[in-house]
Amino acid sequence: MILDEAEALLDPVSDIEGFMLACLVDASTGMIVASRKDQDDISLPTAAAGAADIANVLSQLTGELPVDGLEDVMVTFRRQLYVMRLVSPEPQILLLVILDRDRANLAMARRAIRTFCASFAA
Amino acid sequence: MSQTSRFTRARQLTSTVLPGRRLDDYADQVTGRLRRIAAARGTGMLPFSGRSDGSIYFRDGKVAFAESTRTPGPAPHDPRAPDQPPLNKIIAILAIAEPTIDAALELLSVQSRFAKFRPSKIPDTGPVSDISLDALLAEVARRQRMLGQLSSVLSADTALARNPHIRPDTIRVSAVQWALLIRVRHGSTPRDLAWDLGRGVFGTTIEAYRLLARQLLSVAGPRPDGPGPGLAAMSFVRAVSVEKGETVPIINASAAPGCAD
Repeated sequence: MILDEAEALLDPVSDIEGFMLACLVDASTGMIVASRKDQDDISLPTAAAGAADIANVLSQLTGELPVDGLEDVMVTFRRQLYVMRLVSPEPQILLLVILDRDRANLAMARRAIRTFCASFAA
Repeated sequence: MSQTSRFTRARQLTSTVLPGRRLDDYADQVTGRLRRIAAARGTGMLPFSGRSDGSIYFRDGKVAFAESTRTPGPAPHDPRAPDQPPLNKIIAILAIAEPTIDAALELLSVQSRFAKFRPSKIPDTGPVSDISLDALLAEVARRQRMLGQLSSVLSADTALARNPHIRPDTIRVSAVQWALLIRVRHGSTPRDLAWDLGRGVFGTTIEAYRLLARQLLSVAGPRPDGPGPGLAAMSFVRAVSVEKGETVPIINASAAPGCAD
């Protein structure tokens, strides 16, 4: 049920060098709200569910430790980078971007994702 | 139709509300009926009655809306300017889509009778486009698996109690969790709290579980499936089937005015 117009919401993120997949997930229910992907070998439901699980664990952590203001989460695999960022605290909307590690520049990607999230709510 | 098959059909319909009937049979029957409506590109509503009253509305074979007397409906939606930021569009879409999926989850999970599909006016769903039946059923199945994971600890109808030793200045919770905590009275259930907050029953049950895990809430009475070994680990990943070909549930943001900017 992925339609062109729904994908358009994530257009700015898909311009990041090394882009493979992006999705917006409602972290409180785990539901995928919008998605876009350039590769078929990544399971979108699994990646989105993993992001929601990580957000869940981190929200428990922030409740128990003296840390505040979670910005983003970066997971590095040998061939991929996963970047997660909270777009909205309520409803808790999470952006997950998966990048090809050989082509992506993590610092530049993180900056682009931060800019996208800021413009998303503005 | 022969006399025998009419009796068989009547028995099938009435048996959906008979005690002892397997939930799987009900799920197969109701999804079969929904798939036939979708295949025929039907427009109208399928009413449900019994343990859960409600309706599922179709437009051209897609699900436009669903409502149940056991789940809160959408708040009156606020028509906004077409050039609103993407986040507001997402919020507007979730404000309709979430109650629809919540109601469908209830109607497809609690054994009820479903009557004849009939023509009906479709409620105004604002900026939300219709959901394909496959996407809806996949999302409902995912949520049922999530609730299955939690079933030894709590369900939407489990009575809860707030930890009496909480000191508000020492706990750090999200705004939603705080709103939930301050509304808990002894015996409140996630469903009661969902109605109180105007949020989805499924989402409220998940938040209640998170508060149980942090020992800010406890189960007030006996656990739903008897005394369990402790808190079950909740995992969204485990609830996702990785079978190839499964439809990915996605709410289409495309119908929001100006979203293709």
